[in-house]
Amino acid sequence: MKRRHISTILAIAVSFALFFWLAIPFAMAVMWSMVDPGHPWSYPDILPPKLSFERWRVVWETTSLPTAMLNSYTLAPVAGICTLLLAAPTAYAFGREEFRGKAIAQVVILIPLVLPGFVTAVFFASLLLSLGIFEKYPAVLLGHIVLYMPYAVRILSVSFSQVQDDVVNAARDLGASPFEVFRAAYFPVLKPGIFAAFLIVFVLSIEEFAIAFIVGVPDFTTIPTILFSYLGFEFVRTNAAVVALILVVPNVILMLVLERLLQSANPASVSGKG
Amino acid sequence: MPRYLRIVLLLTPGLGLVVVMMSMVIYRAVAQSFGLYNFGGEDILSLAHWQEMFDNRRYWSALRWSGYIATTSALLSVALAYPLALWLRRPFFGSTILSAMIKAPYFVPGLVAAFLLINVISFHGFVNEFMIWIGLWDKPVRMQNDENGYAIIGLQVWKQLPLAFLLLLGSIQSIPDSVLHAAQDLGAGTLARFRRVVLPLTMKAMQAALVLIFIGAAGDFSFQAIAGPARKNSMATLMTQLQGSNYSDWNGAAVVGVTLMGLSLVGAVALAGFVQLMTKFTENVR
Repeated sequence: MKRRHISTILAIAVSFALFFWLAIPFAMAVMWSMVDPGHPWSYPDILPPKLSFERWRVVWETTSLPTAMLNSYTLAPVAGICTLLLAAPTAYAFGREEFRGKAIAQVVILIPLVLPGFVTAVFFASLLLSLGIFEKYPAVLLGHIVLYMPYAVRILSVSFSQVQDDVVNAARDLGASPFEVFRAAYFPVLKPGIFAAFLIVFVLSIEEFAIAFIVGVPDFTTIPTILFSYLGFEFVRTNAAVVALILVVPNVILMLVLERLLQSANPASVSGKG
Repeated sequence: MPRYLRIVLLLTPGLGLVVVMMSMVIYRAVAQSFGLYNFGGEDILSLAHWQEMFDNRRYWSALRWSGYIATTSALLSVALAYPLALWLRRPFFGSTILSAMIKAPYFVPGLVAAFLLINVISFHGFVNEFMIWIGLWDKPVRMQNDENGYAIIGLQVWKQLPLAFLLLLGSIQSIPDSVLHAAQDLGAGTLARFRRVVLPLTMKAMQAALVLIFIGAAGDFSFQAIAGPARKNSMATLMTQLQGSNYSDWNGAAVVGVTLMGLSLVGAVALAGFVQLMTKFTENVR
């Protein structure tokens, strides 16, 4: 009884701490984004004197945010689909084949994750310069595909390994064509993995800063590079607040969806067997 | 089709692309640091760019700074994640929400995280207004861009704690209750159980967390550029400055880039080794 008391008190205390850990920072950002241009928020006002969406309208109409959003949101789905298609064969080999050097291959695929992002970005840019590639969109796209390949391969190889051999064999024995075997035996098991892999590449591509900044700027702006421009030398807090929220809110929602998908991507719930 | 050929073909689009691109990028950095692929002049294989950097005070200062920030952030994140993971090991009322709140910052992009923190600690930010309001401080304290990098370390911990938490939680949850009960029955106190049961069994997860956080923090650009002290550089900000439009010193940037890769490697090996030694040591201490 006494132990339970203590843990209740602890839970309440930590909940408060986490409230300050998360709620205060986000509340400040929301308030800053809604400060009315005619009524600045300055010392000693604890709260902004007047709230309005005026700032959102101004940022939308006077900055290159619409272009940046268009760039980010056309880049991310393409990156997601390309990564998925390129990752699938490797994931199949990792998940369903045994071969010499597999363990090493599974480690090597992780290299993009451990190399510092800005080292990758700067020397990727140097490479592009030598090759004479000045087209920004395909360059950033290629960068994102390589950078996020490890995630797609990892998620999909788990999915591939969960496809059951007897279902595949049964479909074959019943005379199914390769496409029908894929549809009946593979696809139902792979589905959550496919969505999860697409979603994670999508979210990470939207957020990616190093390559977009080094390779893309100044002709190809994305949401993070716009945000950085408001946080750097010309610090515009209200504009930064608007862009930060536009960047973070959709991604947090997508990540929550992703977590659900990853939880449902276990063999028992997909194939109906343990 | 021979089997090995089949495997090779399967691996080519995914693994093959990664290997080709990443090895080209790494080779590029190394080659440029030794004067090859020189955009500004002739390609001459030399140590001159390394020498030049070794004589540059900013290079050493950035190296020290990135090493300091990365080590502190990694150790602090793991130290804070352990008690949280132990506490949330078994579900209880509200534990799901608590876990979700701990994990949430991991989903927040670095630039946004930096902006959120700046708002809270700025001259007229929440902390200053609050401390003055309750009367502990007479006037606002300058916390942004502090010389000791506390803001950056705070940001790293805010963003990386979830990673350490998730890795440790998974590892702690896989320790069977019977093992902990057995230790308790044999008279082991809380600390002894942690030291002699939990620590050795979660060593791998702790190593992974330390290494990943160290590498992430060593290569940091965003937090340094936004919340770091104005007169200091991290390796990543120094590298981009050298390469950027003002200098276009690709070779110098390459030296910094290669050093940063070295720092990540050395730091990762050192932290993993440190954990191994520490676990061995605490196991033997009675």
